[in-house]
Amino acid sequence: MSTGIPSRSRLAHPRGADETPAERVDFGRRVLVVRRRRIAVRLEGRSVVVCAVLVLAAAGMAVLALMTGSYQLSAGQVVSALTGGETGIVRDIVVEWRLPRVVAALVFGGALGASGAIFQSLLRNPLADPGIIGFSQGSYTGALLVILVINGTYWQLVGGALLGGMATALAVYVLAYRNGVQGFRLIVVGIGVSAMLASLNTWLILKADLEVAMAAAVWGAGSLNGVSWGRVVVGGACIAALLLLAGMLSRPMQQMELGDDAAASQGVRVSPARLGLIVVGVALTATVTAASGPIAFISLVAPQIGRRLARTAGITLAPAAFVGALLCLAADYIAQHVAPTPLPVGIITVMLGGGYLGYLLFTEARRRL
Amino acid sequence: MTTTSRRSGSATAAMFLSAALVLTACGSDGGDADDKAGETHSVTADNGTIEVPVDPQRVVTIGNTTLPFIDMGGEPMGVTDVSASELGLIPEEQKATFEAATNLGASADQVDMEQLAGLEPDLILAQFPESEFEPLEKRLESIAPTVFWGLGTEWKAFADGLARAGDVTDELGEQKAEFESKVTGIQETYGEIIDDISFVNLDRWASSDPGTYSIADFGCVEIAQDDIGMDFPEAAEGQDPLGWTSLPFEQLAELSEYDVITYPVDAEGRPTEPFAPVVETNTWKALPAVSSGRALGVFCPGNNSYGPVLQYLDSLDAALATLPAKE
Amino acid sequence: MTALVLRHDGPGTVTVPGPRRRLIGLVVALAALLVLLALSVMIGSTAIAPSVVWDALFHPSDDIDQFAIRDYRLPRTVVGLVVGAALGLSGALIQALTRNPLADPGILGVHAGASFAVTVAVGVLGVRDIGGYMWFAFAGALVVTITVLGLGSTRRGQSPVVLVLAGVCVGAVLGGAREALQLTDPDAFDALRSWNAGSVVGRPLDLVWPILPFFAVALVLAFAVSGPLNAMALGDELALAQGVRLVRTRVFAIVALTLLAGGATAIAGPIGFVGLMIPHVARWIVGPHQRWIFAYSVLLAPILLLASDILGRVVMHPSEIPVGVVTAFVGAPVLIVLVRRTKASGL
Repeated sequence: MSTGIPSRSRLAHPRGADETPAERVDFGRRVLVVRRRRIAVRLEGRSVVVCAVLVLAAAGMAVLALMTGSYQLSAGQVVSALTGGETGIVRDIVVEWRLPRVVAALVFGGALGASGAIFQSLLRNPLADPGIIGFSQGSYTGALLVILVINGTYWQLVGGALLGGMATALAVYVLAYRNGVQGFRLIVVGIGVSAMLASLNTWLILKADLEVAMAAAVWGAGSLNGVSWGRVVVGGACIAALLLLAGMLSRPMQQMELGDDAAASQGVRVSPARLGLIVVGVALTATVTAASGPIAFISLVAPQIGRRLARTAGITLAPAAFVGALLCLAADYIAQHVAPTPLPVGIITVMLGGGYLGYLLFTEARRRL
Repeated sequence: MTTTSRRSGSATAAMFLSAALVLTACGSDGGDADDKAGETHSVTADNGTIEVPVDPQRVVTIGNTTLPFIDMGGEPMGVTDVSASELGLIPEEQKATFEAATNLGASADQVDMEQLAGLEPDLILAQFPESEFEPLEKRLESIAPTVFWGLGTEWKAFADGLARAGDVTDELGEQKAEFESKVTGIQETYGEIIDDISFVNLDRWASSDPGTYSIADFGCVEIAQDDIGMDFPEAAEGQDPLGWTSLPFEQLAELSEYDVITYPVDAEGRPTEPFAPVVETNTWKALPAVSSGRALGVFCPGNNSYGPVLQYLDSLDAALATLPAKE
Repeated sequence: MTALVLRHDGPGTVTVPGPRRRLIGLVVALAALLVLLALSVMIGSTAIAPSVVWDALFHPSDDIDQFAIRDYRLPRTVVGLVVGAALGLSGALIQALTRNPLADPGILGVHAGASFAVTVAVGVLGVRDIGGYMWFAFAGALVVTITVLGLGSTRRGQSPVVLVLAGVCVGAVLGGAREALQLTDPDAFDALRSWNAGSVVGRPLDLVWPILPFFAVALVLAFAVSGPLNAMALGDELALAQGVRLVRTRVFAIVALTLLAGGATAIAGPIGFVGLMIPHVARWIVGPHQRWIFAYSVLLAPILLLASDILGRVVMHPSEIPVGVVTAFVGAPVLIVLVRRTKASGL
C-alpha cells in the first residue's frame, strides 16, 4: 500500500474498533455489506444528534451575527426589528442588510458542503471538489467577461458565471469522453482546461482598469458583500431544489462508495446515478459561485469535518451541509468583524479551511507513520 | 494618477450630462447658511435626478469623488481609501482634510454600510465602476441622497456636477477662471511653435507588463490636445484608446517620426518610477527627439479635477519653454 | 487546486522505447530547441532583417535596430531558456518525489511563498523594481519550502503524502494572507498584476546571472538523486532493500527542486503548467526512467516556453502577451490530445 498516494481507504476510513484490516480483506462482499448496514444504522443515530448540535450552533452564530456591526444596536432593537417593531434605518440594517447576509451565508455554505460531499464520495478522494472539472475557473472567466467587457449588471454577472462554469464543465466532460469517462483522463483534461482559463483570467485582470480589476478580484475571492433578499431568495430556491435531488440520490451515492460493482449488485443503476450526482454537485456549486463568487475550501473541508463529527465510514450529505453552513457563517463573521479591515469571506475560508483541512489530513497521515 | 489614467472618456455622455445640469439648474440662491438649511434642489447625474440639500453639512465621498471634492475645498466627513501613490501627489492641507475624515473601506464595493449609516450623512457623492453601483444603490439611498457618476464621465462635466451637488461652486469658479487664463497664456506664447510640431505622449504604469510602454492618449494629454490644440496621435473614432495597448520596448525605435516626445515625470522632474525603465534603454537614448533634447518631462498629478490639472498646465508651460532654444 | 489531486486509477500500459530511440529523441529535442533559440532572436514585434540580426550579434554598432536584438530579444531568449529548463526539471523532481504524476512544483509552497514575499515587499516595504522582487521571491520560496519540509518531517523521515499536505496547508494560509494584503492595497494590487502573469521580458541579464549558480547546484543534485528516485518509485521498502538512503535522497531532491522552482519564479514570476505538463509528457515518451525524464524535461520545457513566447509576440501585434499567459494555451491542447491517445501514465 505504500504507493505514496493516499487512497481513500487510508485517509478517509479511520478503522473502526471492530473492523481490523484482516476482516476487510477476508470477508466476502455479502458479509461486509450486511455488517456495514448494521454499522450504518447505529451511526445514523449519532448523525442526527450531530446535525441537531450543528443547527443549534449555527442559530447561535446567526444571532451573534445579527447583533454585531459598526452600527451599534441593542439586543432589544434587533429583536424588535425582526418582529416588525422598528422602522427606518434600524429596520433596514437588521432586516434588509444583516439578515439576508446571514441567511445567504447559511444557505450557500450548506450548498457548498453538500456539493463537496457528492464529489468526494464520487471520486473517492478527500481532496476532490468541482474545481477539478474546471468549473471555478470557467465561472470566473464568465464573470470577468461580464464585469470587464460588457460592464454588466448583477444578474448578467450571475448568468455569465453560470454559463462560463457550465460550458467549461461540459467541455471538460466532452474532451475527456472516449468510450466512457475515465477518472484520470477527466482530471488531466480538467487541469489542462483550467490552466488555459486561469491564464485567460490573469490576462483579463491585467488588461482592465484598476478599479474594475479590483472589483473583479473581490468577486473572484468570493464575497457576500451587498447580498440582498432578491438574491438570497433566487439562490436559495435553486439550492433547496438541488438539495432535495441530492437527498434522493444519497442512497445510491453511499452504495457506490463501496465500488461500482457492489452498487450494481444492490440494484443501483450506476451510470445514470453518477451522472445525476455530478450534475447536482456541479449545479450546487454553480449556484453559489454565480451568486457570490467562488468561496473556496468549504466544499473540501465541510465533508471531512462532518464525517469526523458524525463518525460515519463514508461521506454523508447532511452533516457536510450543516458543517458547511456553520463554517461559512463563522468565516463571514470573522471576515467582517474580526479582521482588521473587512475582507471577502473567501479569503477567510481559504486561510481557516485550508489551514484546518491541511492540518487534519496531515496529522492523520503523520500518525500512521 | 493610476486610477484615473486608464479611463476612457465618453464625450456624448458628458455632453448630455452637462446639458442636463444646465437644464436642472434651478436651485435658490442668496441668503446665508441658516436660510438654506432644509432646502433642497435637484441635480442630475448618472443615477438620475436626485433631490439633495442646497447646503449639505455632512458629506460622504465614495470612490473617485473624494480627492476632487477635497480639491474644490469640500470637507467630507467620511471617505473611502485613496492609494498611497495618489495621496502623495496632493497638497498637505488637502491630505489633512482626507485624513480627518472617517475611512469607510478600501473601495466602493467594500464600504462598511453600517459605519456609513452611523455617520448620518446628508449627502453621498460617489464615482466608481457602474457595475458596482447597482447592488449598492438601494442601500446608499436609504442612508442619504446619493449622487453617482460612472467612470465614463468627462472630467469637466464631473467637476461641474460635483461642485453643484456638494455646494462648492465658488471654489470651482475660481479654478475654472485660472484654467482658462493658463490655457490662453500657453496658446498665445507657444501657438506658432506647437502648430508645426508633431508630438507623441508616452506613459507607463505600475501595472504595465515589464518591457512595455504605451502611447497614452488619455489623462492630462487630452487637455494638451483638446484645450491647447497640440498635435498628438489619437485613436480612430470608435476604437479603443491607444494607451490601452502596451507596446514592447523594441517598438520605441518607431518613434523617430515624431518631433517631440512627452513623458511622465514626478514633481521634482524625474521620470516617474514606472516610466524609469524606458529612459534607461539604449533605444530611447538613440531616438532623435531624445538626443536633441526634445523629450519633455511633464508632471501630471491627476486629471479628474482642476487643481491637479492646473499643476499640469504649469509643468507643460515650463517644458514648452525649453523648445524655442532648440529651433 | 489541481495539485491536490493525489490519486489516479491504476498504472497504464506504457510502451517503453529502447535506449537507442530515447537517445535519438533527445537529439531531436535538442535540435528543436536550437531552432527555437534562433527563431526567438529573429522574430519580434518589429520586422528586423536577418542581416541586421547577424550584425547585431557579431558586428555590434549603435544602430537603433541592433539594440532591439541585443537589449530585448537576446535577454528574453536566455531567460526563456533558463527559466524553462528550471521549471521542467523542478516539475520532474516533484513528480518523482511524490510519486504523483500530476504534482507541480507549486505543491510544496514554492509559488505561495514567492508570491507572498513579493506581496509583502510591494505592499508593506514599498519595493517597486524587478530586481527587488527577485530576491524577495527567491527568499520567500526557500523559507516556505523549508517550513513545509520541517512540518512534513516525522521522526522517521518524510512521507510524500505528509509533505504535500503540509504544502497545501501552508499554501492556503499564505495564499489567503496574500490576497487580503492585495485587496486592501490598490497600489500593491496594481503593481502585482503584471508580476502575477509571469513573463520573461524586461529582466536585465545582470539580474539573472546571480541565480545561475543555484541552478547549477540544483542540476547536479537532481541527476545525483535520479537513480535513487528510480528505486523509490517502486516503494520505500523496496528502495531500502536496494540500499537507497531515503532521507538524504528526499532532502537533496527537495533542495534541488526548491532552488529551481524558486529561482525560476524569482526571475519570471509564477509560470504555471510547464512544470506539471512537461515531465508528464516526458514520461509518456521515455517511460519510468527518472534520468531520461529529467533530461527530456530540461530540453522540452524551454521548447514550450520559447514557442509560447514567440507566439505571444506576434498574435496580438503590435502588443504582446506575457509568456505565462500563453504557455497554457500552447501546452494544454497538446496535453489533452496526448491524454486522449494514451491509456494512462503511471510512474
